[in-house]
This record gives sequence, C-alpha cells and structure tokens, in this order.
Amino acid sequence: MLIPVAVLVALVALSVFGDRPLPRADLTYINSSEVNTLDPQRMSWMHDLRTARLLFEGLVKNDVLSDGFDIVPGVAESWELSEDARTYTFHLRDDAKWTNGADVTAQDFVFSWRRALLPDLVSDYVTMFLNIDGAQEFYDWRQEQLDGFTDREFASNDAKRVAAYELWEETKALFDSMVGLKAIDDHTLVVTLERPVPYFLELCAFTVFSPVYEPLVAQYERPDPVTARLIRRPGWTKGGVLISNGPFELTGWRFKRDMRMTKSPHYWDRDSIAIRTVSIPSISDPNAGVLAYQTGSIDWIANVTSPYRGDMVAQKLAYLDEHKDRVAELEALGYDQFSITRMLPEDPRALTHAVSSFGTYFYNFNCKQRLPDGRDNPFADPRVRRAFAMCIDKPGIAREIRRLGEPSASTLIPPGSIGGYTSPKGLPNIGDAADEDERQAIITRAKALLEEAGFPEDFVVELAFNKDAGHDLIGQAIAKSWQKSLGVQTSLSQKEIKIFREDLKNKQYMTARAGWFGDYGDPTTFLDISHSKDGNNDRAYNNPVFDDLLFQASNELDPAKRMAILSEAERIIMEEDLPLVPIFHYATIYMFDAHKITGLSTHPRTKQNAFLIDVLGDGIGDDLPRPMNQNQIQAETTP
Amino acid sequence: MMTMILRRLAALPVILLVIYTITLTLAWAVPGNPLENPEKRPKPEVIEQMKKQYNLDSFPRFYVSYLSSVTGFEYAKDWVSGDLGRDQQAALDAGFPTAPRPIFDLGPSLEYDDWTVNEIVGSALPVSITLGSAAILIALVLGVGAGVIGAVKPNSTSDLFTLTIAMIGISLPSFVIGTALLLVFAVLIPMFPVGGWGGPMKAILPAVTLSLPFAAYIARLTRMGMIEALGADYIRTARAKGASENAVLYKHALKNAFLPVLSFLGPAAAMAMTGSFVIEQVFTIPGMGQHFVNGVQNKDLFLIMGVVLIFATMLILFNLVVDVLYRWVDPRIA
Repeated sequence: MLIPVAVLVALVALSVFGDRPLPRADLTYINSSEVNTLDPQRMSWMHDLRTARLLFEGLVKNDVLSDGFDIVPGVAESWELSEDARTYTFHLRDDAKWTNGADVTAQDFVFSWRRALLPDLVSDYVTMFLNIDGAQEFYDWRQEQLDGFTDREFASNDAKRVAAYELWEETKALFDSMVGLKAIDDHTLVVTLERPVPYFLELCAFTVFSPVYEPLVAQYERPDPVTARLIRRPGWTKGGVLISNGPFELTGWRFKRDMRMTKSPHYWDRDSIAIRTVSIPSISDPNAGVLAYQTGSIDWIANVTSPYRGDMVAQKLAYLDEHKDRVAELEALGYDQFSITRMLPEDPRALTHAVSSFGTYFYNFNCKQRLPDGRDNPFADPRVRRAFAMCIDKPGIAREIRRLGEPSASTLIPPGSIGGYTSPKGLPNIGDAADEDERQAIITRAKALLEEAGFPEDFVVELAFNKDAGHDLIGQAIAKSWQKSLGVQTSLSQKEIKIFREDLKNKQYMTARAGWFGDYGDPTTFLDISHSKDGNNDRAYNNPVFDDLLFQASNELDPAKRMAILSEAERIIMEEDLPLVPIFHYATIYMFDAHKITGLSTHPRTKQNAFLIDVLGDGIGDDLPRPMNQNQIQAETTP
Repeated sequence: MMTMILRRLAALPVILLVIYTITLTLAWAVPGNPLENPEKRPKPEVIEQMKKQYNLDSFPRFYVSYLSSVTGFEYAKDWVSGDLGRDQQAALDAGFPTAPRPIFDLGPSLEYDDWTVNEIVGSALPVSITLGSAAILIALVLGVGAGVIGAVKPNSTSDLFTLTIAMIGISLPSFVIGTALLLVFAVLIPMFPVGGWGGPMKAILPAVTLSLPFAAYIARLTRMGMIEALGADYIRTARAKGASENAVLYKHALKNAFLPVLSFLGPAAAMAMTGSFVIEQVFTIPGMGQHFVNGVQNKDLFLIMGVVLIFATMLILFNLVVDVLYRWVDPRIA
C-alpha cells in the first residue's frame, strides 16, 4: 500500500517543483478575462484588441494621449489622399520590421486584408473591409464558389483536392485583379475605396487592420480538400511562434495562466518604449484580481468587475473631495484625472479610477407592429416610446444603482468622444428635472403622448434582461419609474445570457436591455445599428428618413456637413423615434497607482496603448509623467 | 482477475458511447448560440459560415463526424485509405507545410479561437492531476489519522473533536474555506501567494482546500471501519497472542478498516483530479474544472464534449484501479 502512495508523492513533488514561476515583469496587468484570439483579423473582444495593440501595429494609430485622439503614423510614415477622396497612397517606413527582423512590406498588408475578406475565415469585422473597391464583389464571388463546390461531383477524392487547390489559386488571382488594394512596391500601398470614407484612417488604426506575417500564417492555413474552404489551424499565435510587428513580441502564452511579452528589438520606435517585459496573468475571478493587486503582484487592473467596486469609487470620490481645492486648481490648468491623482498625496483610496468609456447602456423597444404573442405592439408607435423614454429616472440609476460615477445619457453617442461632432440635445428626462413642477410637467407631457397614441389600459409592459451584472436592479428601477410616473403595470423577465441574446436577435421581447461600444472614431459606429438593414438592429426599427440620412452622409465629402447630417440622424432616433432609450454612458474602473504608472489615456474613447506606459522610478525609460495633452509636461514641476 | 480487467475494459467504449450520446443530446438542446459573443455580434452570414464549417447545422451530422474524430476512427480511415498521406503530400506540393494531424481530435474551441480542445485539455489536465493527487494525499493523511484517533476511544473528547472537524469539513463549501484560507494565510499573514500556479507555495492552499471535504469523509469511513474491526474476533486473537497495540491497530485493524476508504478513493480521485470550478476561481488555477462550467455557459460544444469524455474515462479507469487494488488487499473478494 505504501509503494503507490510513495510514487504518488514523488510525482506530485516533481510536478510542483518542476514548474518554477517566472521573475516579475516590468509591467503586470490583468484583463477581465482570457484573451480569445491573437489573430488580428479574427478578433472582436475589447481585451483581445487591447492585447493585440502591444504586439501588432497598423498603418496608422491613434495618439491616445492627445485630446483629439489624433491619427499618427504607424507602419506608414506618410500618406496621401487623391482628389476624389477615394484613393489612399501609404508610404511604409523603411525601418518597420517584424520581430524576426524581416521588413514589413506593403504585400503583408495585402495578404492580411485579403484574409479578412475571405468568407472562409469568418472575420467579425469583415464589413469594415467591404469599403474597399471591389471587396464586396470578391467576397460574394468566393462565397458563391464555396457554396457551389460542395454540390459539384468529382471523379475521385484526388480530383476534388486538385479542384480545391485550383479554386484557391483562382481566388488569389481574382483578388489581385478585382480588389482595390495594391502593393506598388515593398513600401507603397495603394488602397482604392468604393466611395469616399472620411473615417478610413480611423479604420486603419483599428487593430483588425494590422498586418500578419505571411510566411508564418500561410503555414497554418490551407484549402480543405473536401469543402475547398480555407481551414485555419490554431498554433501560430502561441508564444515563441508568433511573429508580429509591434512594440512587443510574444514570448509565452499558457492558456488560462499567463501571457508574457518582451520588448521587440526590431520595433522602429523602440526608444520610446519604457518597459522591457509585460506579463498578463489570467485572473478571471474579480475579487482575486483585487486581492492580487493588494498584495503587490499586479500593476494595473484594466477592468475591475468586483461587486464592491461601487464602494471603491465612492471612496475615491470622498478622497477627491478631501482635496477639492487642489483638484479644482489642477482641473483649471487642464490636467487629466490621472495626473490630478498623481499630484495629490498617496492614499489607498486613490488607486481606483473611473474612466468614461466609448459605450452606452440602453433599453431596446421592439418596434414591430405585433408582439411575439401576436397582440398589437403599442411600442410600434414612436409617441409611446418617447413617453416611456422620458419617464426613466436615468441619473437615479447611475447614482444609486451603478454607483460608478457614470453620466446619465440622453444620446446614444457619448458626448465629446468624437472630434467635430455635436450631439443632439435628446429628450427631457424626469431625473434631470430641476424641481418637482418641472418633473410633473414632463410626466404630464408623457401621459398626453400615451393618450394620443391610444396606449391600452391594463397593458403589462415586459422588461427583459440577462441575469448577471446587476441588470436586474436596473430593470427594477426602470419598472418602478414607469409604474410611479405613468401608472403602467410591468413584469420583469430575467434570462440566461445566450438565450437572452437569441431572443433579442429574433425580436422575441417587448423591451430589453442592451449596450453598445463604438469601434472607431466616427458617429456611424453607433448609428449604423439603427439602420433598417443592419444585422445589429435588434429593434426592427425602420425609418426611411433615418436610413436616407446615413446614405447622404456616406456620400458627403465635406467633413463638417457630414457631421451635421449624422447629428440630425442621431436627433431623429434620440428625440423623435426612440427605438432605444440610452440610460447611461459606461465607465470602466481601473485600479493602478497613478504615482507609479503613467501613460494611460483618459480620453472618452477608452483605448489604451499599454506600450505607452512608463513605470515611474524603475530606472527604465525617462521616468517622466506622460499626461494627456503632452504640452503639460513642461508646465508641471517634478513631483 | 485478468478476465475481470478485460471485461471491464471491453465495456469501456460502450459506456463512453452512452455518455457521449446523452451529453451531446443535452448540450445540443441547451438554447442559445455558441457563436454569439456578448460584446459584438458577428453578421448573420458569418454565423452561417461557422455553423457550416463545424457541422453545427445538423445534429446527426455532428454526432457522427465528431464521434469519428474523437475516437480516432477518422484518422484511422484516412490512414488506411491512404488519404492522410496523399493529403499531406498534396498540401506540401501546393506550398502548405502542415503539422501532423492528432489521432484523437477533440475539435476546436468555439470560444477560444487560438486553442484546440486537445491543447486546452493538455494544458489543464496535468495541473488538475497534480493538484488532485496532492489533495488526495493530504486527505488520506488527515482522514486516516483522524479516523484512527477517533476509533481508539469512541465518544471521547478527541473523537468528538475530530468528528466535529470532519462535519465542518463536509458541510462548509470550498469557496468559504478557500477564501478564508486566502484571507488569513495570504493577505493577513503573507505566507503564501494570493493565487496562480507554478511552484510549491502556490499549490499548498488550494490543495488543502480541495482535500478537506475528502479528508472529512475519509475520517468518518476510517472511524466506522476501525470501530467495527476493533470489536472483531481476530483483533482479540491478535491481542491475546501478545501483539503490541500499534501492531494491532495498524497491521490488523487498519487493513480491514481501510477497505471502504479504498472504494471511496476511486471516484474521489477522479473528482479531485478533474478539477474544481470553485477552487480554480478562488485561487486562479488553470485547471480542468472551469472548463466544465465555462464550456456550458459559452455553449462551447467541443469543449463540453472533450472535458466530459475525459472525465468519464478517468472515472471508469479509476474505479477499475480501485477494484483491482481491492482484490489485492482483500483476496476474499474475487
């Protein structure tokens, strides 16, 4: 009996002792969950995109530390736009290198963008690439060929395989001739768009447009001999295998354990990078993350989701309140919130930071004429939707339930997040009323709207939400608002997330919670979801006037006029039609010591380029604060 | 003995097939779409593409194709027909260097694009086996020790004490014990790291947490067995022939008292070594347990099937090992 036990002891000891931890990295940060993929063309999760920005670099990038979120050179050192605003010519820098030392060439971009445009590889963001001239035709053609391939008869398996490979060769040739994407030479990339896309550079700054290394990736993709579709084998995104072109190279990725990166010796702008190693442990339990921070093993939590984060934010506000004179003074000088915290005394409460996000929490109204159960849908009438929208105590929800310092929302697009765009005013809201009289006036107006629309008496309004993350509390608050002000009966329906999303897509609901985060710096990233033909229009909202405004905007070359048209489009959905009611604009909660970590952005677009981080006082990099609005550096006295 | 082992091994595929069928039917019936992502929704066409690619549009097709790839049947078929070699050669000729195909292919993970289920199980299973073995060892030492102490003087203070501890060990959920241990031994007294995996220090707290319910159960089983054994005739005989008390306890009584513990160890080991969702969450351990829960939550069909099949296989094999040991310890059972 003792022998098996002894063997077991030895094995356990061997396994435990054999697995030595790595030394601490210069920067250790955690995402809220495990990275889903590091393949730029396939990613869509925010933490994937954030991680990939450390490894990959696109033609251009956003200067996340500038107030305007300016487009600055990346792999492309300069670019020109043609007279008709349809053709971009990018000049790639000579010193842009892959982590193996090879040059980044224009051909790499052609290869990578072609990957995104293949229906075989099912890129979530394929729509963005369809702006390129001929891209839609190419996509459709390939799709047709693939669909046809399965129905074709072949003499033998070998003949089928040959045909699959031939189709692939044909596809590549067709792409080169059909799609407006050309590598003129190693360092010149010409992109012709189907129509002018004023935010095309913003798209190019989006991680999905980053290049991948063809000699590596092509080894993992080949046409399936049975279906002819390109099959993708995972493997090339692993540590020590991945070849990327950004500031860092991936040295290790252990699933659900950690990811390690080291500074790339070949990155063209390597001198600006102030961290040598990055470690991203995988800690999915929200409380474990905060505990790990408190014991000093983490420098930055990129998304605190622990249930008590509301208290953390409240304590931070109390801390700021204790220093309110100094805060006001610094705010007047134009300092961002991280810099302000840095210039205040150190305090454990100061470690929490609520940062405004490029996203909005809202409630959907089903706009179809009939409800799922076949009854007439009162919410098909915009007057009803308007009345209900006015009678939600939005500031109350943000203040009492969310408790994260989030602003209540009267528009879908977070105001101030997109340069040159003026948000519409939105509807009046009972929560914003200055006094009781004004509140009553809004309620009276809403009731009048309901009467006009003939809102049926004894109608029970159903609110649907998914069961986690406190959506139930928000649902209850909305139900209470409606009951109190409009006297309407409500019922709450809580669902499991996958079912909930399926119901939304099939319009099997009356009103339902939702949220949306913008992908790029243009109003269309939010407005497109209300287009009658959009795949994300869960509301079945259909207003030809709105669709037409979006169409007009897409053909408008003058940026100011275009923004005005889009603003009018948002006004229609936010003041007249209300297919959705915005409740509040999201905030993300960070945890880091502003006295130690610098280089994070407070811009409402919430995109962090973690390679800009400098750990102050670690002797690596210049160890100077990196505030928003770089001009401030000179004015600031060293702390 | 040999025929028993062979018979049991022969039954293994049948049992697994039944489990496969039931699990797949249930997992398939879970509403919701595995390809949906809570942050961004792919276009409907994109979802259609993926469904086609993975046979997710037809249950019978999925049932057969997945079964044949999991069992290695597909590999064997392609190998026998020569397709495997021809395929590799043709790919090479066309300029696609390819890696060898796994024989038993558990499929891709729908949630984690960059990993196959083989890789996920390959990285998580060793962690869980190590942690589980450590926990079972701790449970054996604690449980048998406490059980013997209790049985020597039934209903004494020490017996009541160990019984109470065992009761608490069984009743308290591991997220309470784990969090309490973390707070005391990692945050208040920083003896151990807060979580993660790698190195002995990180393994101690989770192994102890995982072991406690097993230890408690083993203690009760040992105590009962020992009390029964100590009243048996052969113990009186042993004492009468002048055997020392230690020899009576550990050589004669414990050997018999251990039998129920042994039969408990089979399923216990399989449970401990396939991971615990709660402990992995609390201590941030990259083990198997989380994949049972997350797999279902994400409706990651391949992952669900992969981990369930691995778990079932381990459970059956461990029970077999226990039965073999049983016969070896107690030759009366044959």
